[in-house]
Amino acid sequence: MIVWSTAAPAIASAFLASLVEVVEALTIVLAVVSLRGWRPAIGGTLAALATLIAVVLALGPLLDRVPLHALQLVIGILLLLFGLGWLRKASLRAAGVIPLHDEDAIFARETAELGAEVARRRTSQDWIAGMTAFKAVLLEGLEVVFIVIAVGAGRGLLLPAGAGALGACLVVLGIGAVVHKPLSRVPENSLKFVVGVMLSSFGVFWTGEGLGIAWPGSDFALLAFAAIFLATGLLAAALARRTAAVRPA
Amino acid sequence: MSVLRDILDELLSMFLGDARLSLAILAVVAAAAALVYAGQPWLAGAVLLLGCVGLMLGSVILAARKAGAGH
Repeated sequence: MIVWSTAAPAIASAFLASLVEVVEALTIVLAVVSLRGWRPAIGGTLAALATLIAVVLALGPLLDRVPLHALQLVIGILLLLFGLGWLRKASLRAAGVIPLHDEDAIFARETAELGAEVARRRTSQDWIAGMTAFKAVLLEGLEVVFIVIAVGAGRGLLLPAGAGALGACLVVLGIGAVVHKPLSRVPENSLKFVVGVMLSSFGVFWTGEGLGIAWPGSDFALLAFAAIFLATGLLAAALARRTAAVRPA
Repeated sequence: MSVLRDILDELLSMFLGDARLSLAILAVVAAAAALVYAGQPWLAGAVLLLGCVGLMLGSVILAARKAGAGH
């Protein structure tokens, strides 16, 4: 039976994190489309999806063989490394210390880089374009797979988390098919901030469980951790804005 | 091979983007594990949670200070 106090944050985390990753992959695939058309873009994307499915099919059954506490500990530590990194970057971006992720700028840069690469190399131009789409979809897809495993494996929630990720893919691809340009209006930093908060909370929760710590309130501790990390992220952004503004004479 | 190398580089940077922060997180986890081993699970939980919160704050402020000094 699904425990919604754990399942809801897992599904929401997988959905929001996947939203960010799929938007990033779509930007690069659209850059490929604008330069070389749909064929290499679809070819590269399908090859990447096939590779991702092979990775999941190969590694998935191994998860069942790992003792639960060891799995929670390893995934918890990876989530801490990943989640705190996202939250740190999102706080610095919110404070204006580092520039915001700009899908339009990335689209323009990718298109220019791909154009230069195609002109320089003698290899088939469609091959280079297809490989660009392949790499983008595979890299962002691997991040999605990791997040689904990380938020789902510790409590047998792989299917609900996977459904959250699939939902995000369908939403982004649906909107992308309609507007047919990079989704630059997605509030990416806010999403990354929220996902950073949730992944960090899961990270502390799983790492603790893996070490044998019984959190007070059991699964509800996750919600308390999320509130603490949200407050920390907001405080960090405010302090960073003030610190960066005070420049040495 | 360059595709494989790019993918491995990217995967590594997913988890070890900021080497100092990553090392500090591992140190906090190790401290929590030592406290659990010493029979202090509640203290271990507090160290894990507050340690991560402190690292996050410290890391952001340090980066902001560096950015401020760089201008």
